Amino acid sequence: MTSPLADSDALHARARAFVSAFEAGRPMPEPFDGLACDLVRFQAAHATGYARLCRARGVDPSTIRTAGAAPAVPTEAFRVSRVSAFPEAETPVTFRTSGTTLGARGSHAMRTTASYDAAALAFGRWALASDLTGRVPVVALAPSAAEAPDSSLSHMLALFAEALGDAPLGERSFFLEGEVLDVAGLDERVARASVRGQPVLVLATSFALVHLLEALDDATFRLPEGSRVMQTGGFKGRSRELEPAVLRRELARAFRIPEGAIVGEYGMTELSSQFYESTLRSPGGGPGVYAEPPWARVIPVDTERLEPVPDGEVGIARIEDLMNVDSAFAVLASDRVRRVPGGFELLGRAPGSAPRGCSIAVDDILGRTRPS
Amino acid sequence: MTRREERVTRVRAVVDAARRVTDGRATIAAHIARATGLSPEGVELAFERHLELEPIETDVAKLVEQSAEAPSVHVILSANVFVGALRALAIARATSVRVTVRPSRRDPVFARALVEALGEPQVSLAEALAVAAIEEGEVHVYGRDETIALVREQVKPGVVVRGHGAGMGVALVSTAAASVPSAEAIAADVVAFDQRGCLSPRVVMVEGAEARALALAKTLSGALDAIGARIPRGALTDDERAQARRYSDSVAFGGEVFVGTQHLVGYLPTSAALLVPPTGRHVHVAQISSVDDARVKLGDLARHVVAVGTDDLARFAPAVPPHARTSLLGAMQRPPLDGPVDRRPQ
Repeated sequence: MTSPLADSDALHARARAFVSAFEAGRPMPEPFDGLACDLVRFQAAHATGYARLCRARGVDPSTIRTAGAAPAVPTEAFRVSRVSAFPEAETPVTFRTSGTTLGARGSHAMRTTASYDAAALAFGRWALASDLTGRVPVVALAPSAAEAPDSSLSHMLALFAEALGDAPLGERSFFLEGEVLDVAGLDERVARASVRGQPVLVLATSFALVHLLEALDDATFRLPEGSRVMQTGGFKGRSRELEPAVLRRELARAFRIPEGAIVGEYGMTELSSQFYESTLRSPGGGPGVYAEPPWARVIPVDTERLEPVPDGEVGIARIEDLMNVDSAFAVLASDRVRRVPGGFELLGRAPGSAPRGCSIAVDDILGRTRPS
Repeated sequence: MTRREERVTRVRAVVDAARRVTDGRATIAAHIARATGLSPEGVELAFERHLELEPIETDVAKLVEQSAEAPSVHVILSANVFVGALRALAIARATSVRVTVRPSRRDPVFARALVEALGEPQVSLAEALAVAAIEEGEVHVYGRDETIALVREQVKPGVVVRGHGAGMGVALVSTAAASVPSAEAIAADVVAFDQRGCLSPRVVMVEGAEARALALAKTLSGALDAIGARIPRGALTDDERAQARRYSDSVAFGGEVFVGTQHLVGYLPTSAALLVPPTGRHVHVAQISSVDDARVKLGDLARHVVAVGTDDLARFAPAVPPHARTSLLGAMQRPPLDGPVDRRPQ
């Protein structure tokens, strides 16, 4: 009989084998469903909450044969419970959601970030940098990991800056402090790249980009040829809101880059995998279509029975993530999605039906109006 | 007759009209059930227990005193429980002789019947209301915050907008309260309008040990089953069903869910944050260690709380948001006709 930690380590190793295979262009090492079912059994054995959820849904984890049979954990559970299959005392890293609703932030405890890091970097490189021949200047318009140590986004961007960037040790890559953009610092870094003829990789939150557009007004901020922009996240009341197509157009104009060089990223604190628009990978590929790595799936499900909807129909995102080894393999997000060729479309939150009374809607209490 | 007496008389006339509508409700009850999604028994319960047909003099006087005076009032009923049209029209008539009512498109039956029963030439129904064209007076809007904000944006300068937004109720149960009667009283508050009123309790805070709160959650589930047998729940909306599933799965992960035939009661341990369930007879129970703990746990939610019901009004007074209506458990859905239900600052 092995220990839970040893079991976890073994599952992490199997998960990372998916990443290694992807990077090497090899077939996946085992069927998705096989590892998924083992993760579900592990999580039900060591996360009492997940075992309770399985019981409530009449699912016996020992008998499931497909990933789709695993009950999904709603993102709200990360706000009200510890969603983890290991003891609290063995938690080196906890990522937290940015919004506080009813005094609580969602949290995702991690025993190790090794699988998260490997997966994030591999798929980030695929979506953002596979055509680049070497390291390039990376500039992040987001809080640094030092400023936001519990932000999974800041953690990921720091990882990208270190792995893909060319900044010498000690040179900063983050140009947002609090709500203040260091436009002069950014300008200096981009100017240096222009002189060297290097493309720049800009990693930014949507609200930081809107702040930059406002600072530029009608002026432009030309990026060197081959530059690209990864934009992520909602606005969360931190800037005016722009429709995705408008933001994309404005960014292309301001940076003097093609719209295809702007890549949307979709990620969540509750996950260990991310999804990207494949605009750089397949020029002409429609913006708004997000690709999945082979270790994660996004499945639109109906809102009540949580069963997959037919292809092409809109459902709530059930996200299966093989990298979520120690938390929840299947997560139920609040965003609506639709399967399309090449991936899925992200359609934001359901508009909600007209209220039948004056009792306040849950979404209004939580201030949820669009995806984050 | 003084001006004040005239205003009181106008309010009384609205109540009398509501009484006539109630007497003749057989002709409209089925329409109301279809429009609101309530069961026929739920509609009957609303007429019998939750329509303010016997207001006392001091309450009506208070309603009149709290209302301004204006040359005209336009009432927009975009979302409300159906009996809310009585209070809305009473406040409007206390404010002005000339009143136009635009009923909710989804649920117009009772409001129309009330205006027709009133039979006042200066009180009219409008299927559409061009807010931007209103020249003077007041606009009373019952709806979501976005609707109220939209009306505020559109009106001409000088036109006063009074918004009555969405909210919710909270029940507070002290250590001294007996479990069964408390649960039965809370169940009665929940069942009215299938919990879609802004006074409807959706969160219950129970003072004492965790085991006591958990036990009350279970007792409440039993009480909701019992009352549900007499007053069946109507149809839930798609949103309510979807949110109930999410709520149920989230609570199942961290606590206990008591699933009834027509309701859910969820309980999460003390360490967990509050989780507000959707409307449709879904209640969240939380433990509190003291009155101050109730205040702290309400936290951000307090701004949405329109009503607090409790077995001990004096004891819990420090925990009650300053704008909230208070009542004993079981009376949360029977506020006196003394002014707007929603007392939050505009």
